[in-house]
Amino acid sequence: MTFRTIDELEGALREASYLPERGLSTALFLSLALEKPVLLEGEAGVGKTEAAKALARARGARLIRLQCYEGLDVAHAVYEWNYPRQLLHIRAAQEGTVSEEELFGREFLIRRPLLEAIESEEPVVLLIDEIDRADEEFEAFLLEVLSDFQITIPEIGTIRAVRKPSVVLTSNRTRELHDALKRRCLFHWIGHPSIEREIAIVKLRVPGVPERLAEQAARFVRGLRALDLAKPPGVAETIDWAQALAALGQAELDAEVVESTLGSVLKYREDFEAVRDDQLVRLVEEARSGR
Amino acid sequence: MADALLRHVVTFGRVLREVGIEVGPGRLQDALRGLDAVDLTSQPDVYFTLRQTLVARRDELDLFDRAFAAWFLRAPVEPAGRGAVPQQPQTRKVASPLSEATLGDEDGDRDPLELGASGHELLREQDFATMTPEEFARARRLIADIARLRPLRRSRRRRPDPRGDRLDLRRLMRRSLATGGDPVERAFRSRKDVPRKLVVLCDVSGSMESYTRALLLFLHSAVGTGRGVEAFAFGTRLSRLTQELATRNPEDAFAKASASVVDWGAGTRIGACLKAFNDEYGRRALSRGAVTVIVSDGWEREDPELVGREMARLARAAYAVVWVNPLKGNPEYQPLAGGMRAALPFVDRFLPGHNLRSLEELAAVLAGIERRHAA
Repeated sequence: MTFRTIDELEGALREASYLPERGLSTALFLSLALEKPVLLEGEAGVGKTEAAKALARARGARLIRLQCYEGLDVAHAVYEWNYPRQLLHIRAAQEGTVSEEELFGREFLIRRPLLEAIESEEPVVLLIDEIDRADEEFEAFLLEVLSDFQITIPEIGTIRAVRKPSVVLTSNRTRELHDALKRRCLFHWIGHPSIEREIAIVKLRVPGVPERLAEQAARFVRGLRALDLAKPPGVAETIDWAQALAALGQAELDAEVVESTLGSVLKYREDFEAVRDDQLVRLVEEARSGR
Repeated sequence: MADALLRHVVTFGRVLREVGIEVGPGRLQDALRGLDAVDLTSQPDVYFTLRQTLVARRDELDLFDRAFAAWFLRAPVEPAGRGAVPQQPQTRKVASPLSEATLGDEDGDRDPLELGASGHELLREQDFATMTPEEFARARRLIADIARLRPLRRSRRRRPDPRGDRLDLRRLMRRSLATGGDPVERAFRSRKDVPRKLVVLCDVSGSMESYTRALLLFLHSAVGTGRGVEAFAFGTRLSRLTQELATRNPEDAFAKASASVVDWGAGTRIGACLKAFNDEYGRRALSRGAVTVIVSDGWEREDPELVGREMARLARAAYAVVWVNPLKGNPEYQPLAGGMRAALPFVDRFLPGHNLRSLEELAAVLAGIERRHAA
């Protein structure tokens, strides 16, 4: 599915249960229009990965995800040979006259996400998640793939993309990415959403959540972000928390239930200690009164 | 119309370059193609299109916003933030030896050994604070050598190695073709050692001045050893130095850093600066698994308790924490300053770094550092 305007794309994303800020819809729209990868950066839990998934749903495209980690190499990102099958094949040939071409042919190839995305004939959204976790060798390799959308396998030759996949990269900025890679991408920084949008997101993602609970939870989390925490909670945490509160049958916040469920929002002991007693009561008050 | 737009965007590119955002022709082309696809009457769409095509780093968003406001919205240009004008305070008297050291005759005394063993030895022992410009010029080259040692860690990436511990199936398969599928000749892979991340936080406040010159040279050479080295300067504020140290000469980087992070006479805020580091960079795991080196005399002017708290956070993320305090070079020294005392429980190695010999010691510790609390 193609989109002629940003509004059209925004509508489709909303259909796919994702409420983007204008900046994000612009970034995704441009990425499709210019056929360029888009790099999404932002704190953990602001919805970077979710954006790629929603884009796939909105376009009716298949999502192919490559989760990055240190040491990620070609064998896990692009392709690998199916060694057990190759061995069996040699054994089955009895006389031992297996040619190299035969053994390194396409039927012995295991396709990993990048090759799969390049070879795919249907539309694909390729999500390269947490690229900052991969090491620089891989980044350099990726740069090559993203500039030409082709992959070379020594035994087979060069495989070109039938249709360019739309590519979304995400990064938590644990390290600065190489400039060359950034130059290939559109860049968008995702911040925390506005309060109205966060309430809307909670209502959309937690079906059946009481209206007042959604508002108060969002305002409470916003209050937390204004404190000086080691790890301020993201939208993902607000959603988790609202889900927990709704499951407990809460219609609105009170200090007691907040205290016992705060673990879905705060993940560090220091942060817990910063939000105890008076502070907690004050935040609950503010969330309830809508200040 | 199209022409006017083109001129507009090209000029805007120039405005961006003036405020310090590097914009290549490829990016401008993307911006134009992007503008072609969006509704030009919608200001947010134009703004995001330009921002997303022309800016690639978060730290440049602020500059971009100012330039955008000035150029497209005709807003008055706000004065640039602190640090943009690295003016040398006139009271500074010490920076000159260093610049002479760079510009001075490089050929004259290239080999430190020419000094003779005893001269070399003397230089190694001499406190940086008492060096003449000539002596410092000689020390300079030794510092670069010392900085080349880097701590290593085991990578998760494997490479071919006949004595490796994992079978290399791809090569094994190819070799066994010759023997009808029997893996007679085996191939292995093993993990290799790669440099461990190194994060250095350097106090550039007035009390540290004579030492930071030497330590910044050390840092400059360390950043030159490849990626994975991050350098920060702090005084009243914290500022990331990695980019500057990689691109400009260390004297400029130093002058710029001390101008932007030190308020003269305001004192050092170690705790606040460590907190800024933990909040902004520690949270993004920049220091996770890194050997973290703090260079400071430990004179906290505000809140020693905060120093302890932030050191605890830092130590939890780091692989090892090294504190370099030039005052320790004095045998009489005792870590009584509040900030220093609060920090010590979280420090794995406590070293002087006041002369060449102790820098060698620092480099050796960094290269050989094995695990926490080994000392």
